[in-house]
Amino acid sequence: MPLGIFLAIVLAVARVYGNRPVSLLATGIVGLFRGFPAIVTLLIIFFALPDLGIFFSPYWSAVIGFILVTGTYQSEYVRGAIQSIDVGQSLAAQALGMRKLEEVVHIILPQAIRGALPGISNEIIYLVLYSSLASYIGVEEIFAVARHFNSLQFRPIEIFLTAGLIYASMATACLAGFRMLERKLRIPGLEVAR
Amino acid sequence: MTDGDIVLKAEDLHKSYADNKVLNGVSFEIGRGEIKVICGPSGSGKSTLLRCLNLLTYPDKGCVWLEGEEITEQTRDVNKVRQKIGFVFQEFNLFNHLSAWRNVSIALEIVKKMSKDEARKLAMEELRRVNLEEDAHKYPAELSGGQKQRVAIARGLAMNPVIMFYDEPTSALDPHLIGEVLDVMKKLAQEKLTSLVVTHEIGFARSVADEMMFMGDGTILERGPPDELISNPKHEIVKQFFKRINELYRREGR
Amino acid sequence: MTAVWEYLPYITWGVAWTFGLVGGGLAIGFMIGLPIAIGQIHGSEEIKALLEAYVWFFRSLPLLVLLFLFYWGVFPATGFKLDPLACSIVVLGLRSSAYQSQIFRGAIISLGEAQLLAARALGMTRLRAVFHIVLPQALRISLPGWSNEYAIMTKDSAITFALGVLEILTRTRYVVMATHEPLLPYFFAGGLFIVVTYGGTKIVNVVYERTRIPGLVGRM
Repeated sequence: MPLGIFLAIVLAVARVYGNRPVSLLATGIVGLFRGFPAIVTLLIIFFALPDLGIFFSPYWSAVIGFILVTGTYQSEYVRGAIQSIDVGQSLAAQALGMRKLEEVVHIILPQAIRGALPGISNEIIYLVLYSSLASYIGVEEIFAVARHFNSLQFRPIEIFLTAGLIYASMATACLAGFRMLERKLRIPGLEVAR
Repeated sequence: MTDGDIVLKAEDLHKSYADNKVLNGVSFEIGRGEIKVICGPSGSGKSTLLRCLNLLTYPDKGCVWLEGEEITEQTRDVNKVRQKIGFVFQEFNLFNHLSAWRNVSIALEIVKKMSKDEARKLAMEELRRVNLEEDAHKYPAELSGGQKQRVAIARGLAMNPVIMFYDEPTSALDPHLIGEVLDVMKKLAQEKLTSLVVTHEIGFARSVADEMMFMGDGTILERGPPDELISNPKHEIVKQFFKRINELYRREGR
Repeated sequence: MTAVWEYLPYITWGVAWTFGLVGGGLAIGFMIGLPIAIGQIHGSEEIKALLEAYVWFFRSLPLLVLLFLFYWGVFPATGFKLDPLACSIVVLGLRSSAYQSQIFRGAIISLGEAQLLAARALGMTRLRAVFHIVLPQALRISLPGWSNEYAIMTKDSAITFALGVLEILTRTRYVVMATHEPLLPYFFAGGLFIVVTYGGTKIVNVVYERTRIPGLVGRM
């Protein structure tokens, strides 16, 4: 999950600040993984890549797949936040003699990430729910276990409702966690626009 | 005024945005310890001029020398140059996510590679200089306009520049806050900190400026000691401008 | 290799099913979501609580779980016998209604009270005011968020492969199983999804531009 956020930042920065080839590449990557359904990405990594000689275990296929999916979605939020930052911040940093990289890391990103947090927290919720898809590439996660139980003892409503509620509580916990994070990172006097 | 110690020299600067010729051949010099003021109507290119001088924008034509070195040469390390010029923006442009003292110290740490403690000490000193020691821990959103601008000045001063640029520093302030900023600027001027100020505050110019330059249509239309320029302008446009200002002052009984 | 190429049209036919899923889901989502939004703004406290629970439920459970829950559990229990396609459309629809209600709710709120007050001052009943004045504007404001919903729905439709619906992904999997050549089919399927997604959002964008209210700054 944190890796996904890292990827998001890298992609967003590449798109906004990169020179043409880098920016286009980043845009292409984002477009690709936002366009493919998450399940397709997972299936490709686990089933199709072996044809090219790249083998990943079910667990790692899922991890990589989700990093790609969530990272690209989040990069949109980060990019939006970066572009919403007043150009004056950039000018002031440059006027002090900061290099581009220093400016982006110390001035732009700290503010952009706070702005992107609501969107990112939304994405993380989706991630928690979509993890159920990993069961189809062999990961022994909640949904897989649920289906297994269902085949043993056919009580679908109880089983799937329970499974669903487990996901729901995980999602709610994450949401609470993000609310706390937002509160901690709040800049006094400045309310994060929702 | 020693002719040998020119801090800043601009020669024949030109700059266009699309079809708009904003700077049309601007030249001047500033000696060490001198305070020069640029005034004129909006759109005359004043802000663009300042930004060309510290290379936030690049002039299309013309050269700039800082302490004898030509900085418009493409091979120069732009960032090193900017360290020597303090820049105060009209909209303050304080870093929103940092407290006041952090705003001042961050460039010291990152650009000048000072240690955290040294930077903090220096930052507090500069804030003391602008009378903001008590509010050093506040964030920009918690400060008034006048306080923000003083932090901005402290931020520029901390880098120990050879010259300070002020781009309409009081234009975005409520009237009752302008005074505190002008006081700080006057104090610095009295300490002979070489400064180039773009402003509408004629009173300020009168009291501290060594020379005033009037800009219009992208060039310097007239220049001279402030008193002379204000009471006895020669250029037609300059005459009109000050005539209106004087009327305004007289009508308000200032 | 030629065998795989020949299967591509088969996969492409899945687009028809995908459209069915997306179209049906969005339609149901709209018909239920809009009333929910209105209910959440103008309803009594009890109604609001109920609606909030509904929205929470359908947004907090994974689609996969919902599909199985309804197909194997709820529908049989209530005596309805639905085939995978119909069941999927219903579930997608219910889930979408939860998301769409939030989009509409946000749009109505951002429109502000002023419009409603003006209408009521003219003597309109609440219902008429909402229907004739608030909704047309709110719906237009919703368009960007709605195109997002379309994109999400298109990709979520792939998940119905778990129930065997003959849409793009299901067919792709059959092809892969038959030919043991996963690369081309999966990438082709992904490509189809991209085309459907971006094509659709493009259309929504055009509608958004065409219905622009003169003078008002757009809300994109």
